[in-house]
Amino acid sequence: MKKILAIAWKDAIIRFASPSELLFFIILPIIFTFLLAGGTPQGDDDNRIRLLVVDESNTTMSGQIISELENSTAIRPEVTTRDEAQSQFDERRASAVLIIPAGMDIESLQSGSAEVEMLQQPNNINTTVQERAVLTAIRRVSSAVSAAQNAVVQREAKQPFDSDAEKQAYFESSLELAQEIQNDAPERVSIVEGTTPDQVEYDPRANSSAGQLITWVFIPLFGISALFAGERQGGTLRRLLITPSSKATFLLGTISGQVAMALLQMLLLVGFAIVVMKLNWGREPLALFVILLASALAAAAFGTTMGTFIKTEGQASGLSIMFGMVMALMGGCWYPLELFPAVIQNAVKVLPTTWAMQGMLDLVLRGGGLIDVLPEAGVLLGFAVLFFSVGVMRFRFE
Amino acid sequence: MKKLFLIGFKDLTLMFRDRAALTFMLLAPFLLTVGMGFVTGRFSGGSTGLSDIPVVIVNLDQQDLGNALEELFNSEDLADLVEPAASSDPEAARRLIDDDQASAAIIIPAGFTDSIIPKDESNFDQSFVESEPVQIEVYTNPSRPTGAGIIKSIVDEFISRVEEGRTSGMTSMVGLMQSGLLDPQNLEAEARALFENVEETESTAITLKTNTEGTEAVEFDLLAYFAPGMALMFLMYTVSYGGRSILAERAQGTLPRLLITPTSNTQVLGGKVLGIFFMGVAQVGILILASTMFFQVQWGDALGVVTLILAAVFGATGWGMLITALARSPAQAGSTGSAVMLIFGILGGSFIELEQFPPFLQTISKITPNAWGLDGFTTLALGGTLKNLTEPITALLIMGAGLFVIAVLIFNRNGMVQK
Repeated sequence: MKKILAIAWKDAIIRFASPSELLFFIILPIIFTFLLAGGTPQGDDDNRIRLLVVDESNTTMSGQIISELENSTAIRPEVTTRDEAQSQFDERRASAVLIIPAGMDIESLQSGSAEVEMLQQPNNINTTVQERAVLTAIRRVSSAVSAAQNAVVQREAKQPFDSDAEKQAYFESSLELAQEIQNDAPERVSIVEGTTPDQVEYDPRANSSAGQLITWVFIPLFGISALFAGERQGGTLRRLLITPSSKATFLLGTISGQVAMALLQMLLLVGFAIVVMKLNWGREPLALFVILLASALAAAAFGTTMGTFIKTEGQASGLSIMFGMVMALMGGCWYPLELFPAVIQNAVKVLPTTWAMQGMLDLVLRGGGLIDVLPEAGVLLGFAVLFFSVGVMRFRFE
Repeated sequence: MKKLFLIGFKDLTLMFRDRAALTFMLLAPFLLTVGMGFVTGRFSGGSTGLSDIPVVIVNLDQQDLGNALEELFNSEDLADLVEPAASSDPEAARRLIDDDQASAAIIIPAGFTDSIIPKDESNFDQSFVESEPVQIEVYTNPSRPTGAGIIKSIVDEFISRVEEGRTSGMTSMVGLMQSGLLDPQNLEAEARALFENVEETESTAITLKTNTEGTEAVEFDLLAYFAPGMALMFLMYTVSYGGRSILAERAQGTLPRLLITPTSNTQVLGGKVLGIFFMGVAQVGILILASTMFFQVQWGDALGVVTLILAAVFGATGWGMLITALARSPAQAGSTGSAVMLIFGILGGSFIELEQFPPFLQTISKITPNAWGLDGFTTLALGGTLKNLTEPITALLIMGAGLFVIAVLIFNRNGMVQK
């Protein structure tokens, strides 16, 4: 036991000999979590998609369109000038701009000449949602006028009007009635977020927090391969042969030290998420510990296996970062897995990052407990057993 | 000049001999580009990465409007976007969402149609208030926010059409009743006629013109954004790798040896800078070429692409020199380079578009060659040419030159390349 602790302590000293290691250990993960979480704001904040609106009409009708957009559950209108909107659009800082041109009034609606324009960035996922929301808003504003026009047509079919003035009066009273009916319409859709009986406060920023935690912890754990390669290159592994230490002691010391450091790093990142980002990580501490430990063991085992294939420290460092980043991206740690094609969603189940991410989402987004994360923890431990076995079998001092 | 090129080519040759570095500089950005291609739907033919969104529909209404909503989700128009499954048990549907088997469940309660299409005269009384409106429940999966958002917007749009039809029908009916033109005996038949196909109501009072209907509809290849995004991110690693060679040569003693040859300090430093520049151009060039060959990425104006690559590498080389000048050892230059690579990658828009950042971060991003480079590549992919690249190219050249001057001042102060 003393030897194992001594080896783990030696690795910790080597790793933190350069202050720059702190960059990768805590500073960069926090910066990335913070920046990427900016894309998925806090539950209390307005997390609707921003839509720039240019109101060149400034009429009651244009006001109604903006008001309807403000009621949207999907988008958040931001009224600005045409120059500012065009500038943001050209610089790709805005995915879409809605322009309400001058002359948007009741007469233009009656004559059917009313038109709004929407500038959309090509191939932008937000524009689909924005366009649907705008269509809904203009439909609501249009519908009262359309309803009044339809009422006039229905009335005329039954009994023609005596004069244009009577027809106009009928239209106006119908418009008033239609607006009243519209305003009194009840909410016909209720949105319920998937939840558990204890009504956990969910926050989509947890997605970014979990994803970055996995990315930044898996990369150094894959870096165990660099430790092995470095010691082998430097001849220090051969020196161990002359000491009364077995292969198992060396491996256990190195791996347990790295796993302990990974757990510390994870706890610091979870602490940051709880204290600064007010995320609900601490609801099920035991389940959290189980999934964090299983994830760390799976990643460490993968790093051990890598270390038996790679010859130089340089190779190991580059490959650790490469595997870490690619596995994180493909495992849904950077973007929700739902964005990938179905076949890829199934294929990436061979990656430990996918299971680690699913386990953490079970805890922080789906309100799961220990029982819910056991399947993912089991798969991760399976990865650990498999890769440790390969690593130990292939491990050579020289 | 010949010496300058010789030193530069020597460093380039060394880079191509380092298989580990090559793997990291070329394979990593390539694989990440492939991953981004999957996310954005580039390889699945969709305009976005989202398709076949799994949704469970529980239609307890079994009347006109409930059936119409179910048919909408099963229609040809939405065939690529959603993958609906029917269920008769609301609880089972909710469980599927809780188990992450689908993005959302739509539960249409019994009596939904009756709550909208009136059956008797009382519903036409203006003071009539629905005691408890019958609501469709959309049960969403919090871990699939994008898919759930799209399902919500489809249901919202459907309800909006229904509401529009209801308003129109009610207005006509009330008007006719108040005018005494509606026979109470035929009320139900008249109402049915007016409320027929209520969900298909299409308002034409305001039309929406989207820019894709205009004359300048542009097909934008998303990989033309993400491929250079990844290449520019790993370019920062390459320039620091190149800079590291100056420190490594000093540590190994080959730099002093070079300085005792009839070669000036300026030539040595210039040759090293040229070497870094060559490495950067080779890396980005190979990645751009590979993306063109494997994924048929449309980059736009070829002259613009070449000029932009040269300018972006020049700007990044400036950063590489600054990192080298400030580092004390090759290892320090390496770790600082990796950190700068990642920070510039996220700040420059390689992971998420800059639009999602607050304004102050968008301003800070201007210090990165990534942001300017991506701005240029996007302009080209959208149909721009070299003449539209004045701003990013000028910014990159100023960045490169300015950082190079600062790096030389630090080199001189530290006596890095003094004979």
